[in-house]
Amino acid sequence: MATTTAPTDPACQDVPPAASLARVAAFRRPLPAEGRACHALIARLPGPPPAPLAAGRLDGVLRSWLGPTWARLWETRVPAPYDAPASRERMRREALRPVHDERSPLRAVLLRYSDGSADLVLVALRSRVPRAVLDEIVDVASGGAPPVAPSVPPVEPGTPWWSRLDRKLGDPGRAGTVDVRPLDLPRLHPGLERVLVGALALAQSRYSGEGTARLGLIDTDGHRYEPAVVEMNPIDEEEGTTRFLARVGAALDAARGGASGSASSSGEPFPELGVVFSSGPADRVHLPFLAPPFPLTVQVAQRHDGPPEACCWVGEGAVSATFRACVERLAHRFAKAPGAPALATIPLMDAGETARVLRLGGSAGPPSRTGGTRIDRRFEEMARRRPDVVAVVDDGGTLTYRRLDERADAVAAGLRALGLPPAGRVGVCLERDASLIIAMLGVLKAGHAYVPMDPHHPRERLGYVTDDAGLPVVIAGSGSLPAIPGVRAFSLGDLEDLGENGGAGAGGGSAGPDDRSADDPAYVIYTSGSTGRPKGVVVPHRNVGALLDATAEDFALGTGDVWTLFHSSAFDFSVWEIWGCLLTGGRLVVVPYWTARDADAFRSLLAEQRITILNQTPSAFSHLVRADRRARDDLSVRLLVFGGEPLDARLLAPWFARYSPARCRVVNMFGITETTVHVTAHPVTPADAVAGSRSVGRALPGWTISVRDLRGRVLPPGAAGEIHVGGAGVADGYLGRPGLTAERFVPDGVTGERLYRSGDRGRLLPDGRLEHLGRLDDQVKIRGHRVELGEIRSALAADPRVVAAVVTVRRAPADDPAGTRVDGYVVLAETCDPRHVLADVRRVLPDYMVPATLTAIPEIPLTANGKPDLARLPPPAARPVPAPTGRMDGPDGGAEGPNGGIGPGGPAAEILGIWSRCLGVAVTGDDNFFELGGNSLLVLQAITAMREKGLPEISVRDFYANSTAHRLISLVEARRRGEEAEAIP
Amino acid sequence: MSRSLEGRAIVITGAARGIGRECAVRFAREGADLALFDIGEDLVGVGYPLGAREQLAHTAELCEADGAAVVTAAVDVRDPTGVPAAVGAALERFGAIDGLVNNAGIAAPAGVAVHEMSEADWALMLDVDLSGAWRMIKAVAPGMVERRSGSIVNVSSTAGLVGYRHFSGYVAAKHGLIGLTKAAALDYAPHRVRVNALCPGSVRDDPLVEGRMLVEIARSLKLPDEEYEQVFLRDQPMNALVEPGDVASAALWLTGDGSCRVTGTVLTVDAGFTSR
Repeated sequence: MATTTAPTDPACQDVPPAASLARVAAFRRPLPAEGRACHALIARLPGPPPAPLAAGRLDGVLRSWLGPTWARLWETRVPAPYDAPASRERMRREALRPVHDERSPLRAVLLRYSDGSADLVLVALRSRVPRAVLDEIVDVASGGAPPVAPSVPPVEPGTPWWSRLDRKLGDPGRAGTVDVRPLDLPRLHPGLERVLVGALALAQSRYSGEGTARLGLIDTDGHRYEPAVVEMNPIDEEEGTTRFLARVGAALDAARGGASGSASSSGEPFPELGVVFSSGPADRVHLPFLAPPFPLTVQVAQRHDGPPEACCWVGEGAVSATFRACVERLAHRFAKAPGAPALATIPLMDAGETARVLRLGGSAGPPSRTGGTRIDRRFEEMARRRPDVVAVVDDGGTLTYRRLDERADAVAAGLRALGLPPAGRVGVCLERDASLIIAMLGVLKAGHAYVPMDPHHPRERLGYVTDDAGLPVVIAGSGSLPAIPGVRAFSLGDLEDLGENGGAGAGGGSAGPDDRSADDPAYVIYTSGSTGRPKGVVVPHRNVGALLDATAEDFALGTGDVWTLFHSSAFDFSVWEIWGCLLTGGRLVVVPYWTARDADAFRSLLAEQRITILNQTPSAFSHLVRADRRARDDLSVRLLVFGGEPLDARLLAPWFARYSPARCRVVNMFGITETTVHVTAHPVTPADAVAGSRSVGRALPGWTISVRDLRGRVLPPGAAGEIHVGGAGVADGYLGRPGLTAERFVPDGVTGERLYRSGDRGRLLPDGRLEHLGRLDDQVKIRGHRVELGEIRSALAADPRVVAAVVTVRRAPADDPAGTRVDGYVVLAETCDPRHVLADVRRVLPDYMVPATLTAIPEIPLTANGKPDLARLPPPAARPVPAPTGRMDGPDGGAEGPNGGIGPGGPAAEILGIWSRCLGVAVTGDDNFFELGGNSLLVLQAITAMREKGLPEISVRDFYANSTAHRLISLVEARRRGEEAEAIP
Repeated sequence: MSRSLEGRAIVITGAARGIGRECAVRFAREGADLALFDIGEDLVGVGYPLGAREQLAHTAELCEADGAAVVTAAVDVRDPTGVPAAVGAALERFGAIDGLVNNAGIAAPAGVAVHEMSEADWALMLDVDLSGAWRMIKAVAPGMVERRSGSIVNVSSTAGLVGYRHFSGYVAAKHGLIGLTKAAALDYAPHRVRVNALCPGSVRDDPLVEGRMLVEIARSLKLPDEEYEQVFLRDQPMNALVEPGDVASAALWLTGDGSCRVTGTVLTVDAGFTSR
C-alpha cells in the first residue's frame, strides 16, 4: 500500500546501496576509545580486484604520497561470499580497528571474499590522512590515475576534545559497549537534517524533562571534526511543527556559523548526544569516527546517488533502543505532517507502547474498589481467632489480643458516650506504649479516624494540628496538650471508665447495626507543607488492608512474627509497624522513647524480645549496625525493611557479613504518606551492597508506578520525570484542602485511574524497577522525616526579629546519614543573637526540622532572576570553627579553644573535643548540644566517641538530661570518681 | 557469538607445526586474529628440520578457513631486530596485540652429560628456548602495558619442573623460562598484563599438526624409532601421552578472560608425570 511519505527524489529510490552503512553498522561490542581519532572508508570492489591492487600499484601510490613506511597493503582471504554474516563481521572488525600515531597512520586492508568480490578497508588517523586522500586511494585502487600529491594537506591534531566524554545513555555497568543499529529515517531530501535534529531535540527535551535541548553537530564534509553545539532553549511545546523545524534550521545555521561556539572550547558540559553528517557516493561508506564521539551519536550518510542512510551509536541496552525508537517516530511524524499541530500533541510513544510502559509499572487497568476490610474488623477477626496470644508488649507488661480488643471496645464505648458526630476525627496524643495502640483501635472501633500527634512535638504544632483537623476530642496524657478552647482532652483511663460505666449505646465493638465502611478514613497523618503549614493526609481503611494483602504473603507475615513499634505515631512508617503486625497475628513490641534513641539499648531489646521483623530508616540503621557489631549474640530478625528515605545499600555491607540474605531478607521500600506507607519493594542483596544500587524495586501488587513529564505524559523507561503512583494505596486527599488535593491527586489521562503526583524524581527501568532520583522541589528527608524547607523558612520568617530567611541543606557523606542537616540564614531587624531566634523556632518545629546552624547575614544574595542565590551564602557557622592546631587530627584533636572556664585535660577536654567534631563548631562549657545543631543521631555519635575514649558509660537519656557541656562533664567526672571508688574497696 | 577470543589479536611463535599450530587453529575457532611466527629455516646445531615456511603458510590457511585474519612472519627469535620488526608488522595490521604464546623452542642439541655440552650448543639452546621468549616479551609488552591489557603464555615443559638425564641445556632453559614467567608476572601485574607458564609433558607427535618433538627427544636419547611412544608411555600415570589439543586448551584458557586473575602461575599438562 502506498503511503503519503515526504517528497523524495524518485531517482533515489530503490537503488540498493552497494556498501551501505547498515551493513557496516548493526553490531554490539566494546570499542577502544582511541577509535575516536580515526576514520574509515570502506569501498566495495564488485568484481575481481582491479589491476592496481593485483600489481602492487597501490603500494607505490601509498609510498609516493605518504612515505615509504606506509606502503603496505594487507590482503586477507575471507572464506565466505560477500553477503555472508561472517564476511560482514570481518569487514566491521577491520573497519573499526584503530591505527596508532606512532606506527603507520593508515592501514589498507583488502578483504577478498570467496565469490571473487572484495572490500577495500582504509583506516586512518583523521589528523594525518584526511577523507579526500582516502577517496583518492580508492579511486586509484579502482583503476584511476594516481594524483601527484595528496589533494588536501594533512591537518595537525589539536587537543582531543573527546577526552571530555564521560556519560552514557544506558546501563552504566555496560559503559564502553556500543550498540550500533540502522536508524530508519524518512526519505527526505532536502530537509532531513532539520527533521532529524528536531526529533533528537524534542526527544532529549522530553527525556530530560528540562524543556531544552543541546546537541553536538559534526559536519565532516567541511573537514571540521570538532563538534559545534546546537542549542534549543527553550523548546516551547505549544509551538507548531513548522515553526519549530524552522527554529531548528536556524539553530543549525547558527551552530555551523560558529555562533554557538564549539563544544570543546566552552566551559559548558559536553553534549550528550549529537549528529555526524557525511556524504559521498553509495559505493563507499565513510565512518568519520570508529567510536562514537557523543555518548549517543546518530550518523547520517547523505548519498549523491541514493537515499540517505543513518545509524545510531548508543550504549547497549533497552533504554537506548527505546530512545532510538522515539527519535525514529518523531522524525517520521515531522516528515509526514509539516505545519501540523503543536509539538505538545505529538506523543513520544504510540498508544500500544504507552500501555506497555504502564503495564511495566504494574498497571492492569483501574483497581477494583469493591470489597476491602476495615482495620478494626480485621483486628476483631484476629482477636477472635487468637484471643489469648500476646498482642502488645511494652515496659508495663503484655496485652493479649482479647484484652486489647476489650480495652479498645471500652474506649470506643467511651467515645460513643461523648456523643460525637459519626465518622469524625479524634486526636491521639500519647507516649509510645500500649495505651497508644488501645486508643487508636478504640477510635477506629467507634467509627472515627485517629489523628496521631507526637507528644514530643512542640505544643504550638500540636495546637495547630488540633485546630486544623477540627478535633473535638484528643486522647492525651496529662499536660502533653495545650489547652485549646472547644477541645476536650481525655486520658485513656477516663475514656475506658466512661465506656465501662457508660451511657446508652456503649458496648462491644461489634454490637449493633454496622454502617462502618472500608471507605471511611482510618487516620489523618500530618506531613510537612511547603507553604509553611503541615497538611493532613486522609487515608481510608481499605488502603491499609490493601497494603497487607500486597505484602503479607510475599513477606510471609504471620503469627510467629515479633515486630517493633519504633517510629513516632506521627510518622506513617508506624502505620505499617502497628497494623502490619496486629492484623497478621504478630506480637508488637513497643520500643520506649529513650530506647529508640540509644542504639545499644535498642539492639539489646531486639535480642531479648527475639524480634523477627524490623523496620528502620537508613539513618537509624547506620547506628544500629554499629551497635550490632559490638554485640556477640546474633539477632533473630528475618525481615529487615527500609523506608522513609533513600537507602545507600553500601551501608548494609557489615550487616550482610553477619546475616545471610537467606536467613534475613532485606527489603528497601519506597513510599509516601499519600500512598499509604509503601509503593515499591526492592529485595536488597549483597550485590546491591557492593554496587550501591539506587533501585527501589517494582510496584507492590495493587500499586502502580509511572514516570511522567510536567504535562502528565507517560515517559518511556530510562527517561527521568515525576513519579506518579496509582492503585490501591492512593489516599483520599488533604484534609480541608480541596485545591491542593486537586493539584496533587489527578486523573490519569490514559487509564482514568486516580494518581498521586509524588513530586519525587524517578526513572523507570526497562525491567519495571524504579530508580529514585530525589525531589523535584525542595523537600528533603532528614532522618526519615519528610521536611519541606519552605516550612522551616516560614517558621523563621514568622519571628518578629527576622526580616528575611533562607534555608539550605548540607548533604552528608554517604556513610554518615546523621550529617544531613539544615542551615538557616536570617536577616535580622534588630541586633540580637541568632541563637535566641533558634531557641524560639525550637518551640514551633519538631527537633528534626530545627536548623543545625543559624547565621545572621546583612542581606540575602539574589540571582539575576531574583531568587535566593544559595551559592553566594557564607559558610554556615554559628561561630568560628576551632583554628587548626598541630594536634587537630591526633587522638585528642580539636579539644583546644575557649572552653568556658574548664581546665585543660581530662574528660572535660575530651568531651569538648568530641562535641566540637560532631557539631563542626567550637564548643565551650556553656554550650547546649542541641542549640549548636545537635540531633538524636549526633547524640549517638557523641556517646560512641566517648565510649571509644574510655570515658564512663552515659545513657542517651542522661545525655538529653545533661545537654549543656559543663553539666555533662560534671556527670562524667562524677561517674569516673564512682568507678574509681569502686575499684578501691 | 560468545567465542572466548572474539576480536583479539594473538601472536604465536613456533606456529608452523605441533603445539603452535594446534594453538593457532583453536584460537582461530575462538574468534582470534593471528600473527603466526616461525623460523622458516633449519638451524646449524639442531639435528632435525625446523618449521618450514610452507608449514607456516599451511597453519595460516587452516586459520583463515576458520575465519581468522592472519599475518605470518619468518622470524628467528634469536634476532634482536627481526623480532621487533615482526611484532611491529603485527601491530600495524591488528592495531593492538592482546596475547602472546611463546611456543618456539628446540629440543636439541642434547643427549650428552653436562660437561660434554659444547659452548656453542649450550648458548644456542638458551638463546632459543629462554632468550627468545624474553625478546618476544620485550617487543610485545609495551603495547600491552599501555593498553593495560594482555596475556602472555610461555610454553615451558615438565623439564622446567624436574630434571631429565642428558638434557641439561633444555632443562636449564625451561627452568629459566619459569623464572622469567614469575619475574615478568610481577613486573606487569600492576598493569594488568598477565604472564603464565605452561608445562606440557610428553606430547604425542600428532601427524595432523606435523609434530616431531617427541621423536627428536627419543633420538637424542637413542631410543628405537618404532617403540619410543611405548617407552614414554611407561612413565605416564594416566597411561596416555599428552595430546597437542590438551596443551592448546590450557593455552586458550590462560590467554582468555577466564583466567583474568591468574598470573605468575605454572600450569602443568603432563598426564600426571610430575606428580610422582
